[in-house]
Amino acid sequence: MFYLYLLPTLTLLIVALFLSPLRSKVWVALATAVTLALAAIVPAIGVLTSGKSLVLMEFMSPIFGQESLSIDPLSAIFLLIIGVAGVATVLYSKGYLEQYLKKKSSAHISLHYTSLVVLILSMMLVVISSGGFSFLFAWELMTIASFLLILFDAERAEVLRAAVAYLIMMHIGFIFLVAGFATIYANTSTGAFSDLAICFSNGKTIPIFILFLLGFGMKAGLFPMHVWLPEAHPAAPSHVSAIMSGVMIKTGVYGIMRVMWYIADSTELHTIGLIILSVGIITGLWGVILAAVQNDAKRLLAYSSIENVGVIFIGLGIATLGQASGNHLVATIALCGALLHTVNHSLFKSLLFFGAGNIYSQMHTTLLDKFGGVAKHMPVTAILFFIATLAICALPPLNGFVGEFLIYLGMLDSVRDNVNTIYAASGLLALALIGGIAVLAFSKLYSTIFLGSPRDHHVAESQEVDNIRIAAMAIPATGIILIGLFPQFAIRIVEGVAQQFTPYTEPVVSQYLTPTLTKLSLTAWLLIIIIALIYIIKSRAQRSRTIAQGPTWGCGFTSPNIRMQYTGESFAEGLESIATSFTQNTIEGRTVGKSEIFPSTHNYNIRHKDKIDRLFAEWWVELLHIINKRVMSLRTGKINIYIAYALIFLVVIFVVSLFNLI
Amino acid sequence: MAIVLNTLLIIITALAIPGVINRTRAVLAGRQGMPFTQHLRNVNLLLRKSTVYSTTTTALFRIAPAIYLGAAIVAMLFIPVADLYPLISFEGDVICFAYTLALARIIIIFAAMDTGSSFEGMGAAREALYGALIEPALMIGFATLALFCGYTSFAEIFEHRQSFNLHLTIVMLLTAFLFLKITFVESGRVPVDDPRTHLELTMIHEVMCLDYCGIDMALIHIASWIKCACFSMIAANAIAATCCFNWWFATPLAILLTGLSVGIVESTQGRNKLVRNTTFIVTISALAALIFFIGYLLKLDINI
Repeated sequence: MFYLYLLPTLTLLIVALFLSPLRSKVWVALATAVTLALAAIVPAIGVLTSGKSLVLMEFMSPIFGQESLSIDPLSAIFLLIIGVAGVATVLYSKGYLEQYLKKKSSAHISLHYTSLVVLILSMMLVVISSGGFSFLFAWELMTIASFLLILFDAERAEVLRAAVAYLIMMHIGFIFLVAGFATIYANTSTGAFSDLAICFSNGKTIPIFILFLLGFGMKAGLFPMHVWLPEAHPAAPSHVSAIMSGVMIKTGVYGIMRVMWYIADSTELHTIGLIILSVGIITGLWGVILAAVQNDAKRLLAYSSIENVGVIFIGLGIATLGQASGNHLVATIALCGALLHTVNHSLFKSLLFFGAGNIYSQMHTTLLDKFGGVAKHMPVTAILFFIATLAICALPPLNGFVGEFLIYLGMLDSVRDNVNTIYAASGLLALALIGGIAVLAFSKLYSTIFLGSPRDHHVAESQEVDNIRIAAMAIPATGIILIGLFPQFAIRIVEGVAQQFTPYTEPVVSQYLTPTLTKLSLTAWLLIIIIALIYIIKSRAQRSRTIAQGPTWGCGFTSPNIRMQYTGESFAEGLESIATSFTQNTIEGRTVGKSEIFPSTHNYNIRHKDKIDRLFAEWWVELLHIINKRVMSLRTGKINIYIAYALIFLVVIFVVSLFNLI
Repeated sequence: MAIVLNTLLIIITALAIPGVINRTRAVLAGRQGMPFTQHLRNVNLLLRKSTVYSTTTTALFRIAPAIYLGAAIVAMLFIPVADLYPLISFEGDVICFAYTLALARIIIIFAAMDTGSSFEGMGAAREALYGALIEPALMIGFATLALFCGYTSFAEIFEHRQSFNLHLTIVMLLTAFLFLKITFVESGRVPVDDPRTHLELTMIHEVMCLDYCGIDMALIHIASWIKCACFSMIAANAIAATCCFNWWFATPLAILLTGLSVGIVESTQGRNKLVRNTTFIVTISALAALIFFIGYLLKLDINI
């Protein structure tokens, strides 16, 4: 039934995209994305305001029995994120792909837009499916669509490598998910998430949960399954990175939230809370430290996505621990924080990737040390990127702060009530360190790209991008500012979801969170007003004085030049020196020696690789290669040998069944 | 009324601390030294000067001092003076305090990087690293206060005069010590940073503002005083909570505590080698975790 609708729609879409003229393909894609977004957002808002689930369709699936598509508050939040980010992404792609229209074939562009729309559609299906076959179908569709999107620049060898690595890792994750759903099916003869409750009540909660954690964690980029992220994001076009990093990895978070919902036993819930919290802490710290030492803008952003998933998991872990210990205040606050951070991250991370796309389309590189002073040439991009930078560092008065504030508040309340004190305190310690290093990472990113003097002549040739791209970037930017300035209304979005998890949400939100967030909002306004006042007074005072312009003060050194400027590498050098155990450095060339009085030309290139990557270059990978070679020698290509294989197989089956072995 | 008095007292603290530091140093060195209000006169002079801006900089460089001071002022409005009441207070405002100051930090880092000077980049990189490493100490310090006082906002933590309690006294004195240490780091004092140094290569906070002059420099100075006053007031409140919890005790305590200790440390010891600074700051974070743990054990009423 459901597939009867889905397949014709997809076919129609593909035909429309392939047949339309080259320049109008984007408009077809945009129209589809807007339609999808409206079709998703309107019922989603309805569900969020009423708090009741909405069943869209019920049908029989080929394997797992009765399934349905329905929107409950949790799906509704993710539908909102997907809808908004989807429209922004397709709109942004118009300007970004302009330069490729001449280089790539028409079919190539059509395939790209088809995959983009299919990705949006499949993500929506993922969050509204009740589980089982339709869920796995949508999940796989999502993986394939995103794989095709990463492959856009397939001529570059590293893109191909990253895309294939992505495909392989996603399928390893997929196996875990299939195993998970098969377990549900074995216990209840359906594949629905809601029947997890029955599985969990039979005991074996932790193994089943771990199965799903592995499956969904692969998508979410949990440590140590994050290795695909920093490879795939720099390889993909920027708008694809934006939607993948901002939204797609959140489907992993969605899945884990969905599974957690049904764990009722409080001792097991406690263990699971601990698992989630520790995974979150490790992922967050690993992500942020690796982010800070990267010298490629998109790789840095990819690592920061890993960090933010870690932060979301810290919030979730604290919420679960609170729930398990019966502390509903903590559970509600931390869960609201985690959900709000999910929404927030989708906004500022898409904006950051769009910004990275702008500078890439102008300068054709994302290496940090090739930039400098871009703000003078691309002022609007600089301002939007600035907003996103402050937001991702969780600084007031923007939205990133609101989400992390709630997570912090949950942990502080947990400490204050002396429940799970040590766990909450370790979360607090980790989150504070993550926040601090995030400030380092993003001040490095922003200042080496946009501030200072140009380090490369390409910067001088760059200019501001077209208005459509700016308009696409304005969509997340508006969200960032609105949530930041009016957190008391933003909490309404996530309230309904928290309600499903803990029944005491309503009083906590109305009596505790709303007054607090109202004051937080007032503080944000006060901050803005005070800053504006100081600036106005300062400007007025300066009006009557001479304002001179001159070169930057060189501290008495008479011939400073641009090459002496601090680079991204030197900015993070202090952290690198204490975080050596996290990275593996590959160095090409050498530095200027101390004894060289008149140094000759030197080349020095350093790359900071993830230590986890080493896992994929160990002896067991070599072993797999050897086994693979042996197995490959069976493939001769001669039909008579293949028939012999079939014969041997039959004989073996015959012999085995003769002795009643199977 | 109490709110106005509270704000005034913090401003007085902010203005007085640099004077006390200067006088302490002069007395200990046996010099006549500068007058108590010399720093105010300096700022007054700066406020009346004209400005030079580097051609490398963008508009961000001109807005940055306003954001820096604005963030410091908002942070100040959270801090109570002993039993008085601050202007802004809500559940979890300790977090808001820390992150408002983080805003101040990132904006001054941006301003430094905006000049394109290698020296200022040096300062910015150090400030970013030290800021990242001191953050856990700050948060765990707040967690200790929350655990022991049962509240998560400054106003409520320091609202009630609690009856004498040995456990509370131990924890409060330790927390005060922790916040005093944090004051040293956050306001860039010896042994982490030396504001009087003449060598740009070893500066941290001072080198970030090399390109500022006139009114902008004055704003940055004022913001730094306010930041320093906030931390020392938290430390003083923690001490005052154990003996005499009144504003007329906490204010001079805050001024003298920071003023004298900074003055004495700066007269008697040199600054760290820069490579030692990370160890020094991480040690403070470890100390904070230790204090939290002690607080936790005492809360459990374990006999030690």
